[in-house]
Amino acid sequence: MLTYHLKTAVTSLRRNPILTALLIGAIALGVCVATSFVTLRHLYTQDPLPGKSDKVFYVQLDSWGKASSYSDDDPEKLPDQITYRDARGLMRSPIPARQTATYITSYFVFPDPKVARPFQANVRLAFADFFDMFNVPFEYGGPWTKASDAKPEPVAVIDHDTNEKVFRGEDSVGRTIRIGERDFRVVGVLRPWRPAIRPFELNRDPAGPPEPVYIPFNFTEPLEIWTNGNTSGWAGEDVKTHQDFLNSERVWIQYWVELPDRAAQESYNDWLDGYIGDQKKLGRFTRPIKHTITTIPAIIEREKFIPQSVRTMSIVSLLFLAVCSVNLIGILLGKFLARIPEVSVRRALGASRAQVFWQHVVECELIGLAGGLIGIGASFLLLKVLGKFVPSGEVLHLDGEMLLVATLLSLVSGLVAGVYPAWRVCSVPPAMQLKVQ
Amino acid sequence: MNVGPILRAMKQNRTRVALIILEIAMTLAIVTNCVNVIIAERAKINRPSGFDDDNILWMHTRPFSPEFREDAAIDRAIQADLLTLRGIPGVKAAANTHFRLWEGGGSSTQVKAVGTTQTPRSTQVYRATTDIFNTLGVHIIEGRGFQPGEDTDSQPHVVVISRTVADAAFPDGHAVGKSLTQARDDGTPLREPFTVVGVFDTFFNPFGMNPDSWEGKADRAIFLPALVGSYERGIDYLIRCEPGAIPAVMAEAEKRLLASNAGRIVEFQPTPEKKTRWFATEWLTVLVMTGLIVALIFVTGLGILGITALSVSERTKQIGTRRALGATRSDILRHFLMENWLTTTAGIVIGIAGTYALNFLLVAKVTDVKMPWQLVAMGVVLLWINGLVATLPPALRATNVPPSIATRSV
Repeated sequence: MLTYHLKTAVTSLRRNPILTALLIGAIALGVCVATSFVTLRHLYTQDPLPGKSDKVFYVQLDSWGKASSYSDDDPEKLPDQITYRDARGLMRSPIPARQTATYITSYFVFPDPKVARPFQANVRLAFADFFDMFNVPFEYGGPWTKASDAKPEPVAVIDHDTNEKVFRGEDSVGRTIRIGERDFRVVGVLRPWRPAIRPFELNRDPAGPPEPVYIPFNFTEPLEIWTNGNTSGWAGEDVKTHQDFLNSERVWIQYWVELPDRAAQESYNDWLDGYIGDQKKLGRFTRPIKHTITTIPAIIEREKFIPQSVRTMSIVSLLFLAVCSVNLIGILLGKFLARIPEVSVRRALGASRAQVFWQHVVECELIGLAGGLIGIGASFLLLKVLGKFVPSGEVLHLDGEMLLVATLLSLVSGLVAGVYPAWRVCSVPPAMQLKVQ
Repeated sequence: MNVGPILRAMKQNRTRVALIILEIAMTLAIVTNCVNVIIAERAKINRPSGFDDDNILWMHTRPFSPEFREDAAIDRAIQADLLTLRGIPGVKAAANTHFRLWEGGGSSTQVKAVGTTQTPRSTQVYRATTDIFNTLGVHIIEGRGFQPGEDTDSQPHVVVISRTVADAAFPDGHAVGKSLTQARDDGTPLREPFTVVGVFDTFFNPFGMNPDSWEGKADRAIFLPALVGSYERGIDYLIRCEPGAIPAVMAEAEKRLLASNAGRIVEFQPTPEKKTRWFATEWLTVLVMTGLIVALIFVTGLGILGITALSVSERTKQIGTRRALGATRSDILRHFLMENWLTTTAGIVIGIAGTYALNFLLVAKVTDVKMPWQLVAMGVVLLWINGLVATLPPALRATNVPPSIATRSV
């Protein structure tokens, strides 16, 4: 029966090619716009850390001074980062399955002079757990060991592009790379990797690319490394030496823990209570005990990383598709009603109401699918253009999920446009039209 | 004009009337909201920064040769570089500063007037060499900018502040000559106070990625005279060029600076590019919304045209009968235009409600619902015109139906 419906639908659509083109064009326009902007929104709202978004937490402590809260506008807001002293303190907790303190700095990387000129690179300092915690993908080798963390050993993980630049893309595990004034041994090379949102850098440009070079956190003290990220403070200490900086109440380190279940989360919160209590005895943490652990999606929501306009555009584009379909209702109604004499003959010859109904619905869905196909094709192009405007635009693309959504959108809009006209045309009594004729 | 027959005719064509009403309502709601968004985004883009954004170039040099480890060598390099930069054709002014425009960040501190009980207030703070105000293009409205030599003092004594900072710290006016100090939360001063020597007007540099965090910081700034640079962080410059000279200056500056010392890298970022990147989503929104409005009006116009054309062709016989009974061509034209106007207006009434409903959906927070009535009024007029234009061709066709058609059977 479906093939028969398809055949009649094609015949009917061929009868008036201009009208058919108009119908398909309208759906194509609507689907193209809707698909593109829904995809754009999907880029930012998709799970930033698939499978682990509810297990990885960002730690914040209220280490601010007594006189005023961290934020003037919102007294509930906690400092966005933690101090070096607290990073050291938190690392002693046995509860998290994985944990890391992290920040970025910037260094010169010196390739073999025959290969390239020295270049400046952002370098992330972290503990070994960082890589597994954030599902960082490796091409060669892997993370350094906990033993390398402890000493620390001069080991480094570099990304794909750095490996191309410095080692011409060869498996460089075990080779030496000069970062700043020290030689580091490469233990891992990342696969090409560009998440839409860097889940581990939510303080500065979360839509930026991941850092090209990673070295153990514990080099902070021996190499006297200063952060390249934001630093804020309240105590106004006189910071002259690097040691002053490390001892100060300035916050500049980000701290992440992986807590696999509720029980672990609760006992970690209890542990933080205890930690702050101990610090109070040392005269620090003069404000009431307060700390939070926050999941990545909650931070993204709280800090409003996703431009409001992305949401606006996706809603408006869906409404635009709706207007396109509603417009088609009128046109299809005219087209179908003009066919009433023909339909009543078919009805008189024994076609059931349902058959007539389905025949017309199939015709509309054909329009919907044809329009959808053209619309999806066009949205590939539109997304290329959009990608130039938005943060992380270079990773904007139609994935399988979005193709499915686009197909669904075209089917639904075909249905919205066609169901009422089809119902009207099938409810014509067979005899009446014959009588008139 | 007698509306009765028109309403009865509309009753006979309920579906079509309902469809047009729905289309008009949706279009009005979407178009007004799109325009509303466009206005808001354009306001963000066009907010004056106070800087000569179109012609400022940011340059970063980062040394890797060991001789730069000494502070004195850095200071000498800055002064030599500034001389070199000023000698390049197309350069109006150049300054050494760590202030970077349109990056959503910078450095901040809190200040208060000396000898008061003011709560210290946040402000952006930047160190820069003498020519900074000329380089940025901000206007000194009171007092003066930095004088030569002030920037090489080991400890800055003078400060030039924005009008917003001056107004908050010295509410009785006349900031020049008074003292300002950086202070802790509890009001105790930090370091030696500075003497205010000048006040400049309009300053806007977004501070933080989240617009909520700009409040009370983005338009507040103080500048201290100093040479700024280190081996670890490199040396940054701002260069103000003649209009259109940025590319030439970039090429020439890199050549001359590397000639003076090749043990470093030189990078550039033209401010127009940075500003476009900063406002990328705003620009995109404006473009997309404009495109959608045009497409939407077109699609709706086409829809109304199609439905009216259909209803004319279906009513050919009735039109002929009315003509035979004495209705003039203009009666027929008026009938269809009136019918359409009534339908459009009904759609508009529902659409106004829809406008506010959609606005509510889009802003997510009740307090943000903002829909100026002038905008809605403009949308209403636009849709009336759109309805008229779309109805006119089929309605004119209806006037050409000859009265004789009434005497023929189908």
